[in-house]
Amino acid sequence: MSYLWHQVSEEEREEIRKEAKRILDDFSKKLASLKLKDVVLQDKENLGRIEGSGTTPDSGFKERMFANAPNKNKDAILAEKKKW
Amino acid sequence: MVSTEQKLQLLKSGKLSAVDNVKQFLSAIDKDDQKGKNINAFLELNKNILEEAKRVDEKIKKDKAGKLAGLVISVKSNINTLGMKATCASKVLDNYQSTYDAAVIEKIRAEDGLIIGMTNMDEFACGGSGETSAFGPTKNPASLERITGGSSSGAAASVAAGFCDLALGSDTGGSIRNPASHCGVVGIKPSYGLVSRYGLIDLSMSLDQIGPLSQDVFGSTLLLSVIAGKDDRDAISQQSKSIEYSKLDSGNKIIVGRLKIKDIDSKIQKLIDVRVEEASKKYGWKIKDIDLSFVDLAIQTYYLLVYVEFFSGTRRFDGRRYGGKIEEACGPEVLRRILGGSEITKAEYGGKYYDRALKAKQLIADAFAKAFKDVDCIVMPTVPKLPHNIGEKISVESMYAYDALTIPANLAGCCALSLPAGKIDGVPVGLQLMSDKFEEQTMLSIASMIEKLG
Repeated sequence: MSYLWHQVSEEEREEIRKEAKRILDDFSKKLASLKLKDVVLQDKENLGRIEGSGTTPDSGFKERMFANAPNKNKDAILAEKKKW
Repeated sequence: MVSTEQKLQLLKSGKLSAVDNVKQFLSAIDKDDQKGKNINAFLELNKNILEEAKRVDEKIKKDKAGKLAGLVISVKSNINTLGMKATCASKVLDNYQSTYDAAVIEKIRAEDGLIIGMTNMDEFACGGSGETSAFGPTKNPASLERITGGSSSGAAASVAAGFCDLALGSDTGGSIRNPASHCGVVGIKPSYGLVSRYGLIDLSMSLDQIGPLSQDVFGSTLLLSVIAGKDDRDAISQQSKSIEYSKLDSGNKIIVGRLKIKDIDSKIQKLIDVRVEEASKKYGWKIKDIDLSFVDLAIQTYYLLVYVEFFSGTRRFDGRRYGGKIEEACGPEVLRRILGGSEITKAEYGGKYYDRALKAKQLIADAFAKAFKDVDCIVMPTVPKLPHNIGEKISVESMYAYDALTIPANLAGCCALSLPAGKIDGVPVGLQLMSDKFEEQTMLSIASMIEKLG
């Protein structure tokens, strides 16, 4: 298989799904040989985020953000119901 | 070619203006990036860079310039840079303009570094060859028919081709060190938490780090000293020991851990062994052969984590606020990880995939912590084999095996770098150093001394 980028066809999509599942099952099986029952995951310090009050964006932020939205109407980004 | 340290002195003394420095690089890019050698390292150039360089020259004249004072830096296209596109080399974000500066970009601008453009990469950092970019593969400047490695393909190529002084990449399982090795440059994966990821479009948040690439250890150390530091906008970032780019000398009381792993090209292993022996002999370092448990399961552990975290992270690419819907516009490798991640997420109730991988990751991290009680650094090749030719057919497992030696540092959270060690058949080969978490200064000093061997 070449790794060069190309558009994925529906047929290829299904092959990719099956291959991904096969790889993950294989990887998971290899880890199954480890004795993991007593492994304790370390508590990571500083993982709790203090939300605070946030930051105030600069005056051009809103305009830049809306410029990236494919579909918008004045102050709203449009998203068709059940299409996402 | 002048070293980064010499270039900085030329800029600060006014013997080379920032404008002229930029012009030299723009000329090289014009000659060989989209024509000539067709390296394809850049996806976008900064149109304002000459104006920005003029302002830096004014500051240099007034002796008010920052640490980077006119050095020219390329940025991987997954790091938000105001005024530039952060496409992640994907058609999904083809027209996405960054709406703000990532924390690392803020710091570079504050220290008067000049951003020359956004570099090519594997699509959404999914790949280890530089081939999965939707805008075409990047060519390896050291061997044009071969891959650069990835995912920071354009970052490594931009330095190797002489298109910039320094580069920013990101490293989740080797994405800085792997292309640094193949292209013959220096690349650092900082300790997890050393550099803020605020503004990085993530691949896998429990593993991602932003780091520098350069032609020499000084350059990467300088850029790392600028971008390191705690940032409240990235919950895992931490304040650590400062990184001193002017004090790169480790002395002679170093114990080097030598790790031997199977399935490494024997020519590559021999090259690394010779280099380590040379350093040991010259500096009086001790070499200790070590063994790391579970490291042979790093690839399996890593991909189970990455598939899930990547799937989760990509749910925001739904085509509403920016770009297109990812599943409809991405290439095969990105789709493989999304579909695989979706499968794992559905099946995870049994703890068969992600939970199992998290525990395996902990075992590997524990093994590294134990090893670093006895040694100052661990040395091994960066990549187990030479890079293949662009477009060559290769299995998924063979592609993932490129990162077998770099993934362990991401799982352990320690710092690591790749340093040019020599060439085989004209292709650069990297030597990898790893040190304990937040021991960058030790690792960089050891690297600097190895580099001085010539």
